[in-house]
Amino acid sequence: MSERLVIVDGVRTPFCRMDTDLARLGAADLARIAIADLLTRTGFDPEAIDEVILGCVGQPVDAMNVARIAALRAGIPERIPAVTVHRNCASGMESITQAHEKACAGRGEVFVVGGTESMSNYPLLYRESARGKFMRLARAKTLGQRLGILLSFRPADFSPVIGLKEGLKDSACGLNMGQTAELVGREAGVGREEMDAFALRSHQRAIAARERLAEEICRVFAPPKLDRVIDRDNGPRENQSLEALARLRPVFERGTGTVTAGNASQITDGAVALLVMTESRAAREGLSPLGILTHYACAGLDPKRMGLGPVYAIDRAERLGAPPLAEADVVELNEAFAAQVLACQRALDSADFCRRELGRDAPIGAIPDEKLNVNGGAIALGHPVGASGARLVLTALRELRRRGGRRALATLCVGGGQGAALWLEAA
Amino acid sequence: MNDLRNIRVERRDDGIAVVVFDKPGSSANTFDRRTLEELDAVLATLESDASCRGVVFTSAKDAIFIAGADLMELSGLDAEGIRDIGRFGQQVFGRVARLSVPTAAAIHGACLGGGFELSLACDWRVASDDKATRIGLPECQLGIIPAWGGSTRLPRLVGLPKALDAILGAKIMPAKKARRIGAVDAVVPREYVVREATRRLGSGRPQRKAHRLVNNRLAAAVIRRSAARTLRRKTGGHYPAFFRALDVVTKSVSSSLDRSLERELEALCELTATDVCRNLVRIFFLQERAKRYQVPGTPELPEGHAERRVAVVGAGVMGAGIAQWCAARGLDVILKDIGPEPLARGMKTIAELVRVLEKRRKVSQVEARQILDRIRPTDRDVPLRYVDVVVEAAIERMDIKQAIFRDLAARSGERTVLATNTSALSISEIARATDRPQAVVGIHFFNPVAKMQLVEVVRAEDTGPETLARAVRFVQQIGKLPVVVRDSPGFVVNRVLAPYLVEAGRLFAEGVEVEAIDRAMKAFGMPMGPLRLIDEVGGDVAGHVARYQAQHFPERIEIPPVLEKLVEQGLLGRKTGAGFYVYPAKGRPTPNPKARELAGASRGPALPRETLQRRMALAMVNEAARCLEERLVEAPEDIDFAMIMGTGFAPFRGGPLRYADSLGAREVVRRLEELAAAHGARFAPSELLAEMARDNRTFYEDERPGTASDAA
Repeated sequence: MSERLVIVDGVRTPFCRMDTDLARLGAADLARIAIADLLTRTGFDPEAIDEVILGCVGQPVDAMNVARIAALRAGIPERIPAVTVHRNCASGMESITQAHEKACAGRGEVFVVGGTESMSNYPLLYRESARGKFMRLARAKTLGQRLGILLSFRPADFSPVIGLKEGLKDSACGLNMGQTAELVGREAGVGREEMDAFALRSHQRAIAARERLAEEICRVFAPPKLDRVIDRDNGPRENQSLEALARLRPVFERGTGTVTAGNASQITDGAVALLVMTESRAAREGLSPLGILTHYACAGLDPKRMGLGPVYAIDRAERLGAPPLAEADVVELNEAFAAQVLACQRALDSADFCRRELGRDAPIGAIPDEKLNVNGGAIALGHPVGASGARLVLTALRELRRRGGRRALATLCVGGGQGAALWLEAA
Repeated sequence: MNDLRNIRVERRDDGIAVVVFDKPGSSANTFDRRTLEELDAVLATLESDASCRGVVFTSAKDAIFIAGADLMELSGLDAEGIRDIGRFGQQVFGRVARLSVPTAAAIHGACLGGGFELSLACDWRVASDDKATRIGLPECQLGIIPAWGGSTRLPRLVGLPKALDAILGAKIMPAKKARRIGAVDAVVPREYVVREATRRLGSGRPQRKAHRLVNNRLAAAVIRRSAARTLRRKTGGHYPAFFRALDVVTKSVSSSLDRSLERELEALCELTATDVCRNLVRIFFLQERAKRYQVPGTPELPEGHAERRVAVVGAGVMGAGIAQWCAARGLDVILKDIGPEPLARGMKTIAELVRVLEKRRKVSQVEARQILDRIRPTDRDVPLRYVDVVVEAAIERMDIKQAIFRDLAARSGERTVLATNTSALSISEIARATDRPQAVVGIHFFNPVAKMQLVEVVRAEDTGPETLARAVRFVQQIGKLPVVVRDSPGFVVNRVLAPYLVEAGRLFAEGVEVEAIDRAMKAFGMPMGPLRLIDEVGGDVAGHVARYQAQHFPERIEIPPVLEKLVEQGLLGRKTGAGFYVYPAKGRPTPNPKARELAGASRGPALPRETLQRRMALAMVNEAARCLEERLVEAPEDIDFAMIMGTGFAPFRGGPLRYADSLGAREVVRRLEELAAAHGARFAPSELLAEMARDNRTFYEDERPGTASDAA
């Protein structure tokens, strides 16, 4: 059984920089808000949902299987199961493709999917050295033993391991994400000025797109008093300038480095929820969906060059039947780093790269700037890792509808050396 | 007695007899004479059974241990019957206490009044930690006192202060609270109550604290004096049961068991003979009736029918209150308003209400979050296909309401009930703007929503029978008490209240002191004086209601200019810091000289309290009679119930119509005619009253006219 999946509607919370407007809300809260709003605005009967699938990268320790917690809290009936999926930055996309695969396997027709991430609430951890001491302390029986262990603590034991920092490091290859960006940028010959110019454009486009983006954003009434309305992304900077970007110091490589906080994606809180179902079910329900998922692929590559993931994924999708890149009217390529986006654009259009790396006779093709991330990208809007994949799909579909285009491509690079690409079609 | 109907005894191999209360065909157990007789017979058997090593009393019901005495049976008894059943209950419970083997009550579910008194006669009490388990002696609330040993045994068990707290407060405690004060010995999951009770029996009879420090003559005298002071302040002296309870309970600690039981019985007989008790018991029955009420002629709803999704339109104080209440009762709520700002104000109101609940430990942290989670604010025109009930609480303008309802009717499902919370517009007119007038109904909550139990369900001209049935069930489902009224200006509560408040305003304008007016009505038994009430509600809100009523009943309602002037000056009452009174940040409110100035009249001569009471109370009585005359409700008790629950009308008087019966229609009409002659035609007796006076009839069939002695 093979059937296409349609995206009926979707909504996301505003994306807000870490430790700002949404910091008091955990990943479960954010997802609950997005799902509840999705159900409210669509008026869809929650009883008719078969499963909830959410992407989340940093599983909150107080809401393990955050999809289940969020689903229950959003009023989805208890009998409807929920699962959290994890493919790093592609987790939000994974929720969509899993829905499709389940539908094809005859395991449901209607799914609430999406992703959620509260990077503000990533934990701080005790170091290995301190952990042992705490365990022994807990097991100590006498006052003397306890005192002895207490005295063995050193100041360094209390300097925490930052969960976020660890998460952004690929332990397979030993590089952190920024370092992989430096590598692909260097190899593709992408300069600092280009990156900063790209970053500036992302902000400018996001600012210009405020009203368009508002269509996909729900309001958040922020705790504790619920009297503050958060309804716009707070990442885009109106007064961003090349000069200001140029002044920033490279974060990952001293001296020769090019990747700065300004030309990398922002660390952000946010959640996305999409209502998806089989094409036939949508027809039966008389719904007019936003769009259709037609093709998709994930592909692996050298973890040190994970930023090129989209190139490999787009290639693989094409081999699985997807149309050539030129057919895309809208492209959302996640801006993990300006360096990596620009390197992807080059690699896709490079006959040499495509032959050498992918064994193709011809390059995959160019992504013209006027089709790429036209409403800004993660450099301006932010990159709540588990949610971004679903955000790209939502933004792409709404833009496709606005433009009256036919096809959209949403793609991103994935830490650990993967890429994901989803082809969508206007319904 | 050979055939046990309400009780069965399970003899176990370990020698324990488990006495199970299980009244057939009912979800409740109560003590009627028959059940007491059965228990007596069971005890007789157990007394002579040498193999019995202990007794556990328990219930087979899902949510009730024993709910107390059968009030229906009690209220049908004459004085002799009361004395008889009182004594019999005491004897049976005494028999429990005197059993030679240890005894325990294994309590799950409501354990009230006589049910708790049986438990008190046992050696041990074990309760379940379930929410259904509620323990207490609420007798004083009904105008009587615990008289099957409760007033005697509780102070012995927990000490005088805590016992007084429980009995005078008529408190119904969760199991944990009962354990904290020492009224139960253990709290365990419901599955284990019998097992734990059995385990306790194994350790024989407990050694109990003697509470010598508080249970002595001297301490009792001190406690009594201070408790009496509090009671006088709280009851205004209208509720004798509290004072009799105080007397019996404080004396019990220095009397023999038998002597104290004798006092319980005396008090019971004395109190049950009063109108106060009769009226309080009636209110209890009316509450029970409201909980189960089905409108005659409406379809039976299927078993287990429950509304699950609600949309509240308008996030103002009422809308937010309704949304919060529904969410706290487990319903999913869409909260709709026209923009983010009013929604944010509504969400803030809701967050505050929930925070208070959490602070007072009415809900746990998780429950508080669940309540907030269930509320979905939106300012979009969202589909309402799967919404079961819409409650509209937007601003009171006919054109706006009609537009809203046209839109609601178009966007909702065909089963969606469309309710308005209007207090001052014609619901029939609102309904006519839609293409589904049969789905439109009034569900009128009172402010503050969380406190006011009464909800007027308003039947408009075209309201369909199923809509009406579902509206009533919905109100019951969320734990409110419905009264069904016909669509007419002000429905019942505001209709009857308006002439009363306006009359208070006129008295003030004539120069009567604000405090004299309020004190008069507090003495009458109202929970708050009328001018203070206007201040609490807000002069603007009260004025709005009054104007609306004046528009429809100009011959009876003429708003004194001082009310309008106060509003113009922004003296709206408590919320603005001043109205008829000035509200200091700390301390008691004092009369507002500015209000007196605005009234124009200088201080007039002091009028006798009785005159004041007559003018204000009879304004209500007259209007209440008109409501009945116009058949706004089915029966007089609907009006009395609405006024007691909706305005706090002196409960011991049983409501305005019951009060009229107690004076007798002839007397009421005579007084009204007197007032009409002196103060104007607005006091002219209603036709119904005049007719009743002619025929010497009463509103209620069980009343004899004119049996009351008190004034007004």
